Amino acid sequence: MGFFQKPFGYEPILTKDDVKQTVKKKKGPRATNWKSTLIRLWKIVDEQRALLLIVLVLVLVSSMLALLGPYVIGKMIDMYVTHGELAGLEKGIMLLIGIYALLAISLFLQNFWMIGIAQQTIYRLRTSVFAHFQRLPIAFFDRRQHGELMSRMTNDIEAVSSTLNSSFIQVFSSVLTLTGTVIIMLSLSPLLTVLTMTIIPIMFWAMRWITRRTAPLFKEQQAAIGALNGMIEETISGQRIVKAFSQEERMKEEFREKSVRLKNTGFWAQTYSGYIPKVMNFLNNMSFTIVAGIGGVLALYGHVSIGVIVIFTEYARQFTRPLNDLANQFNTVLSAIAGAERVFALLDELPEEEATSAQKHKLLGQVSFQHVYFKYEQKEEAYTLKDIHFNVEPGQTVALVGATGAGKTTILQLIARFYEVSKGEVLFDGVNVQQIERQALRSQMAFVLQDPFLFEATVRENIRYGRLDASDEEIEEAAKRANAHDFIMSLKDGYDTVLAADGSGISQGQKQLLSIARALIADPKVLLLDEATSSIDTVTELAIQEALDLLMQGRTSFVIAHRLNTVHNADMVLVLHKGELVEAGSQQELMESGGIYAQMLQSSSHHLEE
Amino acid sequence: MKEVFSYVKPYKWTALIAFSLMLLELFVELAQPLIMAKIIDDGVRAQNQGIIWQWGMVLLALSFVAFIAGVVNSYFSSHTAQSFSYDLRNALFEKIQFFTLATYQKFSTASLITRLTNDVTQVQTVLFMSLRIMLRAPLAVIGSIIMAFVVNAKLALFLVIGAPIIFIFLIVMVAKGVSYFGRVQKRVDRLNRVLQENLQAIRLVKAYLRGAYEASRFDEVASRLKIDTVKALRTMEYIMPVLLFIMNMSLLAVLWFGTKQIDSGTTPLGDVVAIVNYAMRMTGSFSMFAFIIIFYARAKASAERMAEVLSTENEIELPSSSENASTGLNNGELAFEHVSFTYPGGDSPVLSDVSFRVKSGEKLAIMGATGAGKSTLLQLIPRFYDVTEGKIVVEGKDVQQWDLQELRETIAYVPQQSLLFTGSIADNVRWGDAEAEMEAVLHATMQAQIHASVEDFPNGYETRVGQKGVNLSGGQKQRLSIARALLRKGHILMLDDSTSALDVKTEQALWEALNEEQATMLVVTQKIRTAKGAQRILLIDGGKVVAYGTHEELLQTSALYKKIAISQQEVEE
Repeated sequence: MGFFQKPFGYEPILTKDDVKQTVKKKKGPRATNWKSTLIRLWKIVDEQRALLLIVLVLVLVSSMLALLGPYVIGKMIDMYVTHGELAGLEKGIMLLIGIYALLAISLFLQNFWMIGIAQQTIYRLRTSVFAHFQRLPIAFFDRRQHGELMSRMTNDIEAVSSTLNSSFIQVFSSVLTLTGTVIIMLSLSPLLTVLTMTIIPIMFWAMRWITRRTAPLFKEQQAAIGALNGMIEETISGQRIVKAFSQEERMKEEFREKSVRLKNTGFWAQTYSGYIPKVMNFLNNMSFTIVAGIGGVLALYGHVSIGVIVIFTEYARQFTRPLNDLANQFNTVLSAIAGAERVFALLDELPEEEATSAQKHKLLGQVSFQHVYFKYEQKEEAYTLKDIHFNVEPGQTVALVGATGAGKTTILQLIARFYEVSKGEVLFDGVNVQQIERQALRSQMAFVLQDPFLFEATVRENIRYGRLDASDEEIEEAAKRANAHDFIMSLKDGYDTVLAADGSGISQGQKQLLSIARALIADPKVLLLDEATSSIDTVTELAIQEALDLLMQGRTSFVIAHRLNTVHNADMVLVLHKGELVEAGSQQELMESGGIYAQMLQSSSHHLEE
Repeated sequence: MKEVFSYVKPYKWTALIAFSLMLLELFVELAQPLIMAKIIDDGVRAQNQGIIWQWGMVLLALSFVAFIAGVVNSYFSSHTAQSFSYDLRNALFEKIQFFTLATYQKFSTASLITRLTNDVTQVQTVLFMSLRIMLRAPLAVIGSIIMAFVVNAKLALFLVIGAPIIFIFLIVMVAKGVSYFGRVQKRVDRLNRVLQENLQAIRLVKAYLRGAYEASRFDEVASRLKIDTVKALRTMEYIMPVLLFIMNMSLLAVLWFGTKQIDSGTTPLGDVVAIVNYAMRMTGSFSMFAFIIIFYARAKASAERMAEVLSTENEIELPSSSENASTGLNNGELAFEHVSFTYPGGDSPVLSDVSFRVKSGEKLAIMGATGAGKSTLLQLIPRFYDVTEGKIVVEGKDVQQWDLQELRETIAYVPQQSLLFTGSIADNVRWGDAEAEMEAVLHATMQAQIHASVEDFPNGYETRVGQKGVNLSGGQKQRLSIARALLRKGHILMLDDSTSALDVKTEQALWEALNEEQATMLVVTQKIRTAKGAQRILLIDGGKVVAYGTHEELLQTSALYKKIAISQQEVEE
């Protein structure tokens, strides 16, 4: 998994040979992996230990009762039915009614509570992963497909869920039933018992053969589902482009390919795991045959009574059934483990580190970069930013200028500490940003992004996102200053209008107005504006500019803008070119020095789109 | 429900084979008590060793048969189930591809994702289990009953006393199950939605320190999901204990009456034993039964959700609505005739009575305030939405008369928000034309002024861009978007404020390169300087055309235009 995925559109179609390869590759170290996953899973379940113990006790009770039933019946057949004795039978029947009633109740309760335990575990798993997401660095999200991550939260956890719901009890009750049955069988006829047990070694061998194949296949299957999910999310989100470029056919083809991968993996996984009950059934029948045949002969010679044979066949079946169930469960458990592994992989991702010495620091507004170098990925060779060095005093407005791709947005991202510098330092009031608690830092900043992402919530709530305790009046005030109030009032429900998920319904420019209102309400010490006003017409923009000017007073502001006006009003202009800071100074100084900036200004006559 | 299961039809033969094999296995299982009875009565009681061995061999042979049948069944069941879900998934995806944009909003993205994956899996599981073993349980039950009747009708009657009660009980439970599980799936939708939003807006969430807030939002959704799932599953939990109890009572009845009959000599012991055996077999099947019901309810809920998608008829784009081929004009002419448009579900028109015409190869600049309707105007042309009034004419034909595919192939669109897909840069540009040679790709990127930047990347054109094209600057994304559109070689090129992130020099070079293009161009822009380069300018305000003409004309006739020009210092006051 990671940045370097398989090339677009190429997904191998699994053949049986591929399956063999997959199995061969993954045989070795896998064994330890699933044990640790199981243990981790168990830890979460264990949080509800008290309830779990009650359930186990109930399983014990119901298993015992289930065993008791046939035993009593067998005895009754021998003692009463054979002789047609009704009187004694009646007593037996009373006993049985009692047993059955208790059985029904305990079965119900054990499952009732187990479901609660299982779903609570799932809930805990889900919320842990989500909480962990919030701590992960942005670089993590850059590398992953959204849909693939979503798949882990839904499909993979679902695999765990269905196992927990039933497997846990099944396994326990199977083990109990097995033990109880063997004891009873031994008490009835040690000879027949031994005969029945001959099937066990065969069973183990068969299980091993099958699960060796199914385990890696289940993993593949979950991965295939993830990939499919990823593609679905992306194409549905990008429908507009798909339609505009008539790429529907191509998308279908690609989907088909990914779907085929899932189909083939799924096919082999299901087929192999389907063998288990067949093998078990066969062994089941074998044991029945053995007991019937040999038992019959023994009965002939008076070594064993008929009643015993009848009961024994019943127990022989009761013996193989839990084995059968265990074997089946094993496969389900494997599938759950495959899912759980993928979920735990997320939990194992390293969160953004916070140095232990990090403190809350009240920003005064001084920002400086000390010989900063930066690249997005360690493996990349070239630096995106090279030797960036500048100093900004509190309250100053800084305009970042330069060709696209020069590194302007990157600098803003570093100020907000979305990424860590590769070399050099970012200082706030002389304090290294890594010594400042992230929460503290960002709570004193407001960031207006290039992509003004808005949530599927009301306009009011979207603006309130800037400061959760803002009152409705403050929200309207901010909206007015961002010049958004008018268009909001023209919407169907005004401030209570719910915005659509893909943002349609309001224009791009209007979205930016909202995101500016959002920033205004946050009342930050440091303001970061990333090309915020370029999609707004110049008339509206003038009005916003006034509001922003007011806002920027007393705050340190970094602005990437394309309008001459903005740059005009800046205290300092930083000129970037291919990741390097080539010029820095006030507008005045740069004009006088006649450098790149001055040239840019001249070549564009009246407009500087920088 | 039927609609979904109709996808099994192509595989009815494999399904049938799997089914028959399962019946075979079942037959063997049912025959056992009979043979058992034979061994007891004809063998043990009659002191005939030969009979014991004989029937023993039969049992063994039957076991082998059952085993082979089982293994082969597994193969066929898998094939049927997997092929079914494969077809179903593809059908759903295809259907979704042809949804109109408005329909996407009806089913949210998250819900569609759930339906394509989660819901399909539920149904597939049921199909597989049905063919493999699920149907065994009810068949085992029915088979056992039949065999019991064969052995001794009078006693067998007791086994079926509870049947009608059971039947009604099950129907009620299934109905409940379906409704509860349907609700559960909706909760999964919500979960998906919160997740998706967070993933898309992670920078925002971090910037505004909304991590804890988002976590509590998610917590609520996950909690509701848990509660509803627990409710659904717990309700279904009543099934097994109830069935079991009823069955066990019937068993006791058999014992009692059987004993009576043995006493009076009307029934041999073997019969009673056989029937008791069948009864216990039946109870053994009951846990599977409960399991089946639960799965079935889940599958039905999922099937209904999928059927909803599959059966959307009116809100899909019809691929072709006309008999005529394209008019052969091939000149990129475009005209709006009194077009008005209101978004579906919207109150007021976004565009009112818009008319203009663009001749072949001409450039039209579209300007206007934020929200004036410019992007909407562009989106009507490839028919992302249909006009409410008036008509749009492309190359002499009403767009609604065009074959949709052909119409869109004539148009190259660069949207306001650059959207790139997971893949290499070359792949993304090739969205314009999948068959394009590398030369053509290079030509497009050079025109779009992005070629040099791409060459600077370590992997050049093979550089991977992650979802949404992160790690490229805004301007780089825009230029790639443009290259993609240029590769298409459409007759009409639409650029929606696509140069906002470009610096002066680059933009100038871009326009120069574009001037060579013969395509008709529609350029939405904020910059008068850009608009000046167009033959005509369309100024929109509040959805209406307030000015239409050349730059000079507009300076004279439109106060609004003049005002904008002054503010951009394009003209002295």
